[in-house]
Amino acid sequence: MSCKNLLKSAAVVILLCVSQLVIAQERVVTGRVTDSKDNAGVPGVTITPKGTKTGTQTGSDGSFRISVGSGVSVLVFTSIGYATQEVDIAGKSTVEVSLVVSNAQLGEVVVTGYGTARRKDITGSISSLKVKDFNKGVQTAPDQMMQGKVAGVQVLNNSGAPGGGTTVRIRGASSIRAGNTPLFVVDGVQLQNTNIRPDVGLTDVGGGTPSGNPLNFINPNDIVSMDILKDASAAAIYGSRGANGVVLITTKRGQTGIPKVELNASFGVSKILKQLEVLDGDEYRAALGEFGFPTTVNSATVPTANFGDNVNAMDEILQTAHIQNYNVAVSSGNDAARYRISMGYLDQEGIIQKTDFKKFSTAITANFRMLESKKLGLDMNLLTTQTQEHVAPISNTAGFKGSLIGQALFWNPTRSLKNPDGTLNILYGSDNINPLAYNEAYFDNPKVTTVIANIAPSYKITKDLEYKMQYSLTYSTGVRKQYTTAYINITDVAIDATSGKGGEANVAENQLTTNQITHTLSYVKDITAKINLNAVAGYEYLKTKFSGNSMYARRFIPTDKPYYYFMASSDPTTRREYGFANPTEELQSYFGRAIVNMSNKYIITATIRADGSTKFGENNKYGYFPSFAGAWFIGREDFMNGIKVIKDLKIRAGWGITGNQEFPGGQSIITYGLSGANPATFQQNTIANPDLKWEENQTFNVGLDFTLFNKLNFIVDYFNKNTTNILFPREAADPVTPNSAVKWVNLPGELNNKGVEATISGNIIRKNDFSLDLSINGTFLSNKITGFGALQIPTGEVSGQGLSGAYAQLLINDQPLNTFYLKKFIGIDKTSGISLYEGGEEKFLLGSANPDVLLGFTINAAYKKFSLEAAMNGAFGHYIYNNTANATTSFNNLGKRNIGKAELELARSLGEKPVNPTSASSRYLEKGNYMKMGNATISYSIGSIGKSIKGANVYLTGQNLFILTDFTGFDPEVNVSKPLNGIPSFGMEYVPYPTARTFTIGINFSL
Amino acid sequence: MKHKIIILSALVVAAGCTKLDEHLGSQTTAGSGSSGGVTATNILAGTYDAMRGPYQDQSRVWAMQQHTSDETIGPTRAGDWDDNGVWRVLHSHQWDPNHGFLADTYRDLGRVVFSATDLLRLSPTPQQAAEGRLLRAMAMFSLVDGWDQVPYRENTANSEEVPKVRKGTEALAYIITELTAIIPDLPVGPAKQANKDAARVLLMKCLLNKGVIASRATPTFAAADMNQVIALADQVMTSSRGYALESNYFDAYAPTNDAISKEDIWTAENIGGSSSGNVRSRWFCGLHYNQNPSGWNGFTTLSDFYGKFEATDKRRGGSTYPGMDKGISPGFLIGQQKTYKKATSPGAFPYAPLDSNLSDRTGAPLIFTAQVKLVETGSDLERTGIRVMKYPIDYTGGDNSNNDYVYFKISDVILMKAEAILRGGTATANPATFGGSNTALGQVNFLRTHASRGASALASLTLDNLLDERGRELYWESWRRQDLIRFGKYLNAWQEKPASDPKRLIFPIPSRSLAANPNLVQNPGY
Repeated sequence: MSCKNLLKSAAVVILLCVSQLVIAQERVVTGRVTDSKDNAGVPGVTITPKGTKTGTQTGSDGSFRISVGSGVSVLVFTSIGYATQEVDIAGKSTVEVSLVVSNAQLGEVVVTGYGTARRKDITGSISSLKVKDFNKGVQTAPDQMMQGKVAGVQVLNNSGAPGGGTTVRIRGASSIRAGNTPLFVVDGVQLQNTNIRPDVGLTDVGGGTPSGNPLNFINPNDIVSMDILKDASAAAIYGSRGANGVVLITTKRGQTGIPKVELNASFGVSKILKQLEVLDGDEYRAALGEFGFPTTVNSATVPTANFGDNVNAMDEILQTAHIQNYNVAVSSGNDAARYRISMGYLDQEGIIQKTDFKKFSTAITANFRMLESKKLGLDMNLLTTQTQEHVAPISNTAGFKGSLIGQALFWNPTRSLKNPDGTLNILYGSDNINPLAYNEAYFDNPKVTTVIANIAPSYKITKDLEYKMQYSLTYSTGVRKQYTTAYINITDVAIDATSGKGGEANVAENQLTTNQITHTLSYVKDITAKINLNAVAGYEYLKTKFSGNSMYARRFIPTDKPYYYFMASSDPTTRREYGFANPTEELQSYFGRAIVNMSNKYIITATIRADGSTKFGENNKYGYFPSFAGAWFIGREDFMNGIKVIKDLKIRAGWGITGNQEFPGGQSIITYGLSGANPATFQQNTIANPDLKWEENQTFNVGLDFTLFNKLNFIVDYFNKNTTNILFPREAADPVTPNSAVKWVNLPGELNNKGVEATISGNIIRKNDFSLDLSINGTFLSNKITGFGALQIPTGEVSGQGLSGAYAQLLINDQPLNTFYLKKFIGIDKTSGISLYEGGEEKFLLGSANPDVLLGFTINAAYKKFSLEAAMNGAFGHYIYNNTANATTSFNNLGKRNIGKAELELARSLGEKPVNPTSASSRYLEKGNYMKMGNATISYSIGSIGKSIKGANVYLTGQNLFILTDFTGFDPEVNVSKPLNGIPSFGMEYVPYPTARTFTIGINFSL
Repeated sequence: MKHKIIILSALVVAAGCTKLDEHLGSQTTAGSGSSGGVTATNILAGTYDAMRGPYQDQSRVWAMQQHTSDETIGPTRAGDWDDNGVWRVLHSHQWDPNHGFLADTYRDLGRVVFSATDLLRLSPTPQQAAEGRLLRAMAMFSLVDGWDQVPYRENTANSEEVPKVRKGTEALAYIITELTAIIPDLPVGPAKQANKDAARVLLMKCLLNKGVIASRATPTFAAADMNQVIALADQVMTSSRGYALESNYFDAYAPTNDAISKEDIWTAENIGGSSSGNVRSRWFCGLHYNQNPSGWNGFTTLSDFYGKFEATDKRRGGSTYPGMDKGISPGFLIGQQKTYKKATSPGAFPYAPLDSNLSDRTGAPLIFTAQVKLVETGSDLERTGIRVMKYPIDYTGGDNSNNDYVYFKISDVILMKAEAILRGGTATANPATFGGSNTALGQVNFLRTHASRGASALASLTLDNLLDERGRELYWESWRRQDLIRFGKYLNAWQEKPASDPKRLIFPIPSRSLAANPNLVQNPGY
């Protein structure tokens, strides 16, 4: 240490002491932090006066404001992903700081669950996303923000419905029945993967509408980072809930300084991305004639004849949807107390008329440092959200009458949807339903309200040892009110001529309450100059209750008011009342983790968690989940000194066991259920299994991190994940109880997922005015069931007329999960015009629904004040079953309904006749390969406007701009839930809510 | 410092004492004290409820007895009713151990066995126990009849128990012992409750089929068994319940059959508008989409079977029935279908003028034709086949029709007695209510020529025309397969079915049941 530095340090120390005594002597420094390559503001940069521990953070535009003691002359700027920078502020009141991206991101702090760790100390596979990495545009839930951004993570929007469900899989599907959704943790609060929105069935036309996304309550604008724990050495700290990986969501905190207001507003429009081509009126007329159907009207009751018109029913139910989104946040604070208050409002119309999704959200966080010593801390946050939707009558399992999309596809295109007088043309007495009329007749308004209250006191017992207690209460309630008016020609809904009554209504509510208490002791210390220890030990208790009630009734006296106002006036014989309360789930856990860093070259991590659950059988109350991992910074060894091509080389290896306990409670003991009223009956619920326990995942992971040519950062991981003790509701031996035919067991087989994932990112061009960054992530996955013996489990129900009992997928030994199992279509018999199948009724294994390859591709370019970000994602090597083509637009519907253009052309070329029976077969199995331009944003940084507006930024985002695919359905990014006996399907498409293309224009600024 | 750590550690440990016992929410446990709710009464109600699925749904016992016979066919109509071939393989005797409906039937019958056994564990009264045991005996009889192997649990509270299996004659002997034991404890009636006469009729069926269960390909009939059948029939016919043939054959199946029928011995109670089995599938399965109510346009009978009826036979139908749309009459529907009700407001089914001819969905006149093929490929594919309306339609019950489902009726007793006489039993005279005849021919002719049936008297009674008569009297009532096997005709070729392999006399044990229980063995040939 030079003499000068020594003096400086001494001065800082003295000044620090003084500043603590004389707080009044402060001054304010403002400024902005930008990215060196594109001059874009960098949000979330921590700014601390050198030598102190408290500081502030930059806002979304990179600007900051900090009060510093008069003696402070240096500010330290740290941000994950950037090299830490110290800036001399002597004599300055404003500073502009340009941060340079750090290659190996070694200085970064990573949220690891129950604590944080330095990126360089991480031995497992953890991906971190910051605000700048998130997908832009309209995002209703946080999982959508990481689509295509993280190697090994597949995020699918199950359909195009606003607020609709998603499928999230980290490193493939490792469970058959216990769920593959990762555990989401928000600021330490573990979420339940429970859909609070009550389900309602569509009377007569099909089953329930698709589920919404349970994560909708989080306002994406409140999130500062997401850390994704992908392997067992990272996730084992979450024990029996860690098997599918863990996503740790951290929300934004207050920053020190005078109150700062951040605002953003955006407006968007959506239109359908792709229409399915069905025959128009003229083509339909021609086809009727061509295949020998009557082409003139001969009866008012024949809905299939030629009515002379030319309508596109799908167009009639669609709209150009408008979207508005506003967010306001105020934050401020000082050394002792900080706060952030934010409010958000999203109003998103869907592309189907009458559908929308609204979200009102508020988040308040406060962080206190108390006592003179500042040893006592208190973090509080309160998050409240309500989502309100209007849902369309679309069902995953629509039968032969179709739900809304099906009805629009097979509506007779020669028949007007409206009568000449403007009223809706409803075909009473027919099973053809006017989609426009059905959508008009159907009202469905679910609301979900979520409150998370979270309080966490902490105390620094010594400099190195901290105790923290966190208590959280999560309460969600879902209310759904739905009715269908009497004027639609649906059986049991249509007005009854004799009584003059009709219509149906549903009222339902669900409640979910979770209490979580976590105690942790953490210890971080440089034990010697070369050995650093980061350890945590804790205890956690989690209790979840889920219950609900609902009412259903029919035959109302028609009024222009919602029928559910008049439940009491419905026909009593049609009323159905339901209630349930799931067994309370309690989880009690003990856990610990130690990270030892030796000489910054060798790192060892060990974790252990013991989980006890009320759901586990008497004979298996506690499960133990250990993990071990190590890392070696080869790059820091002396022998690597001369090597220029490869830098920062680090090798990681880890092994661990995680668990999955997402199965219903009450399965390990004999229980009875009460049902019915006339008379009330009791029956045993299931065949109990006192040995029931968690599903177990053993994961081995080897990873390599390095930088090539000082430019390209590589993160490469090989993983091998083996699931044993597979939780499964197995067919029980007959005789079985009337309430259930299954016994939940841990199956003897194994499910293996292995693969390689790689992320390559780097700054390709960096010039004064122009920079270009690229990031590519790829995942190569394989999935296989072994040890199943003769066990075969069907799933993937195929719906539609003439397809009762048909299914498309099989879980079978030596094959991937959800392997398609179908008759093999080999052509059409020229004489009969009927399908030919190889081996007649024989079925074959025809490939899997799981992609072999996932790709994500992000490009960032900046020119002066303009920047462009484009992100693509894709999946390859898998198949999708097109149930829509099989049942809805299929050729043999001709003469009864409209059909698909492609189906007609194929039928012509093959010589197919309309009498060809419908059958599930390989004919409707399609390759699912796609690459999607999911997200592209152009933004322009205006900077300050006048004195008060800072960091103004305008942007234009396009979502779902185009898809490259051969798949003939609406969108290959689809997962319509078609389970059979509760076994989830994957890769099934059936008349989903179509995908939208959305353009959003927005502005951000702060005051 | 050390103290603080100790205190904190103690806190952490103290917090960790939660006992992980389950709090069951809306579920409950059976048995002692606090549970309260679970009683023999509501378990018995649950057992009755468990009977509905297997006996009333169109894809269970009814499908297994009817679709595999010469009375019923489920034709594939292009896009409709392909259903992965489930209906075709039943009619053509091509089913395999993975047949979904057969597997579900096997399972659902087992559910009755489970529930009744569970009832016996929970201190029922003697009558409750007897009712439960009759329901169980009925389910076991259907199981041994179809699959020859009846798995059972000794203790439904022991979830580790691997169910044992009674086979063939052993299973039948057990059922016979059970029935004999419970008759004293059963109530006399009403029909909707498990009653003494129901047990007697089931006992008759056991005894009549005893030789069949012992050897389905070459059954023999012991005179002692036949005499017992005759004695039981006489007990039932003279029962204080006062059975008689009613004036309209279809009253036994009407929405109000619980009130008006004197023929029904044992039924499953269905409460209109509130609680019922899927009895409405009996009319939905055949009605065309454009009829009232809008049906499923599926199953039909075959022309050869229809041809067994004389034109005067009222069981064939053709007359309107009180409360039914006059365009549809109970019995068989053939020829041009009409609508009667005129729509007065939008929404009424169907929206067409009074008494007009209906069309199918392609616009062609809706004429049901006698001929039907297993796979229909012509332009008339929506219209082929004679539809069967055994149960008069309940238009007011919605999902829950009021027609009580008929298990046993008195005409079956008359025909079984005649059969027992024909198979070597000693004839006794029928009571005067049933004609007083002391010959099998006279007894059958009394039934045939009764005003409610209106057929002509037979000149002589043979096994062949007795089988036909059972078909005419009990068509679509889930007895046909059993009867065809007992009369040695089940393997014959008939319309849309070639002669079948002898293994088809027993259904295969469903794969999933076989996989779950090592005590089951696959039936020969599968």
